Amino acid sequence: MTTAIKTSHLPLNQPGFRLFDGPTSDVADATPGQIGVVGMPSDWTHSSRLGARFGPEALRKATTLLQSMRPQGASFNPDTGNRTVPAKNWLVDCGDAEITADDVDATTQAIAAMTEELSVSGAIPLALGGDHYNSYPACLGYSRGLARRAPGARFGYIQIDGHLDFSDRLGAWGKFNHATNARRISELPNVDVRNMVWIGISGWVDGGDLALIEKEGGRVFSAADVHSLGTVEVVRQALAHAMQDCDELYLSIDIDAMDAGYLPGTGSVVHSGITPRQYYELLDGFAEAPLGGLDIDEVSPPLDPSERTEIIAAEMLFRVLHRFRTRPVAEK
Amino acid sequence: MPLRSAPLPRMAGHLSFMRSQPKAIHDVRPDQLAVLGLPFEDTSAPFAGQSLAPRALRETSVYFGWHANPQFSHPVDIDARQDIKTDGLHERLCDLGDISPGSEEAVHAALMTATCQINRAGACALLLGGSDRLSMTVQDALQGCQTVQLGGMPSDARDFHIAPLHNGTDPTLKIDTAVHLASFSRWRDSTRPLFVRFDLSVFETSLSALCDRPRLGGCNLDTVTQWLSTLGQHRVSAIMLTGLNPTRPGMGVVKVGQRLMVTALLAFVYARLGFGVMDSSTVASMENGLI
Repeated sequence: MTTAIKTSHLPLNQPGFRLFDGPTSDVADATPGQIGVVGMPSDWTHSSRLGARFGPEALRKATTLLQSMRPQGASFNPDTGNRTVPAKNWLVDCGDAEITADDVDATTQAIAAMTEELSVSGAIPLALGGDHYNSYPACLGYSRGLARRAPGARFGYIQIDGHLDFSDRLGAWGKFNHATNARRISELPNVDVRNMVWIGISGWVDGGDLALIEKEGGRVFSAADVHSLGTVEVVRQALAHAMQDCDELYLSIDIDAMDAGYLPGTGSVVHSGITPRQYYELLDGFAEAPLGGLDIDEVSPPLDPSERTEIIAAEMLFRVLHRFRTRPVAEK
Repeated sequence: MPLRSAPLPRMAGHLSFMRSQPKAIHDVRPDQLAVLGLPFEDTSAPFAGQSLAPRALRETSVYFGWHANPQFSHPVDIDARQDIKTDGLHERLCDLGDISPGSEEAVHAALMTATCQINRAGACALLLGGSDRLSMTVQDALQGCQTVQLGGMPSDARDFHIAPLHNGTDPTLKIDTAVHLASFSRWRDSTRPLFVRFDLSVFETSLSALCDRPRLGGCNLDTVTQWLSTLGQHRVSAIMLTGLNPTRPGMGVVKVGQRLMVTALLAFVYARLGFGVMDSSTVASMENGLI
C-alpha cells in the first residue's frame, strides 16, 4: 500500500543572511535615503593574513543575530534615553559584487558599478569588506555617483583605522592593495586631502606617508589622541576638518583600529588601546553626520575562533546606522 | 645581496628577526644585538606549544623590518610624533638562528655556551623563548648578574620585579611607574651584568589570550613599553622572552600575543642599540654608552 506524500507549503525563509535581516533588492531599485548594501568578498589585495573575504557573510549573519535579539517594536534606548521604533524600508541588501580574484581592475569596476548606481539614486552605499583595499572601489563608485547626482559637490573623508593606508605602492601588489586605498581615494576628483581625516592610527607609520598627508592638509588623530582628547572631541574636530566646504561625508571603518585584545579577527592587528566603548562612541558621533557613503572592512572570521570580532563589528554597524534603523518617538 | 636592495615580497625564504642579517655566533661584535631562538618544549607546561614561540615571534617581527624595506621611508611613532632612526640597525642587529633540539641537558649546555660567547663578545643576547625553564641557565651564564623580571613567577627576592604574577590579595595591578623607576635606579648596580626576563604574563590577560599563565589586572602596553625603553638604556647582557604559547588550544590563528610582545620589544631594541631615545626627556640612563 502506498501512502500519499503530503507536501507542506509553509511560507519559507530565504536561505542565507542579509544585513540586518533586511530585504534583498537590485541596486537599481534602491530609493533615496535608503542604505544600499554591497558585499565585497575579496581579500586578494591583502598582503598578509587572509580571511576577510568571509567578512560580508559574517557581518550579515551577526547583524541578523543581533537584530533578532533587539526589540522589534517600540523600545527604550538606554544609551540615548530615547524611545524609538524600528524604521521601515531603511535598508536593502543588494548582494555581493562580482569578485575576480586574479583581476583587481575587474573587481574594482564591479564594486564601483554597484555603489555608483546606489549613489546616483540618492541611496547611501554601505560596502562590506573584504580587505581594506575594497574601500577604494566602493568610494570610487560613490564618487562617480555623487558627480552625476550633484555635479560640483564635494565630499569629506574620514577613515577610522589602525593604519594610514596612504602608500603609493606596496611591493608586488603595486598600486592597488590594502595599503594604498586612502591614497587612491585622495586622487578622486571630488575630494581633497585637506578634507581627509584619519582616526585611531597606532604604532609606527611610514614617515613619508605621514609627512605627505600633513603637507597636503590632512589631519591624523592617533590612538593616543583618542585617549587624550576623548572620543567626543575627536569626532567634533574630525567633522569640522573633513566637512569644510563639503556636502557629504564618506566614512571608511577599518575595524583594526580597535585593540587586538578585544578584536583579534583581522589581518593586521594593532595594540592601540582603543576599546569597543571608545570605538562605539566614535561611531555614535558620526551617525549624525551627513553620510553619503560608508564601508566597513577587514572582518576576518577565520582569524578569530571566538567569533567575537564579527559581533563587535556588527555592533559598530548598529551604532553608525542608528538614525536609519530607528525613529525617535515622543516621550509619554 | 644586501637586504635593502632585495625585491619585495619577501614573505618566503629565510626567516630572521626583523629581517636582520643571519650571522654565525663567532662573528658577533661588541654592542650588537644577537637574536637566538630557543624552541624548547617544556613538558611540565599546562599546554604544549611553547617551542613554537621563536618562530611566531620572528614571523610577527617581519612587520617591523623597516630598515630592510626599500619601499618605506623612515618610521614615525605616531603616538609620540617622533621619528625613529633606523640607519645602521641593519649592521647592529643579527640573527644567529635557533639552539638545536636535543635532550634537555644538551639544550641547557648549548644555551649556556651561546650566552657566554655572546656576552664575551660584548654584545647583548636577545633570546626568543617560550618556556622560562631555561632562564636559570642564562642567569648561570651571566655570572653575578642582576635580574629584572617583567611578569612571570618571582623566583628570587633579590631580583627586581615588574608586575610579578601574584599581587597578594590585590586583584588589580597598581604600579606608580615613576616611583618604580626610581626604585630600579637605586637597585641597579652597573658593575654587574643585567639580565631581563620578559614574560607575556606581564600584560593584562585581556590584551592577549596566548599566555599559559593568564594574569588579570596586568600591565598595559604603554607601561611595558616604557619599562623596556628604560631597560634598553642600561647595559643589558641578555633579554629573554618567555610565556608565549602561539598554539594554545583553539588559538593557533590568533597572533595577538606575539604582536604584543614584539611591539613592546621594539622599544628595547632601539634603546639598546642607541636609536630609540630621540627625546632627552626620556633618557633614564647613559649606562649602555650608546644613547
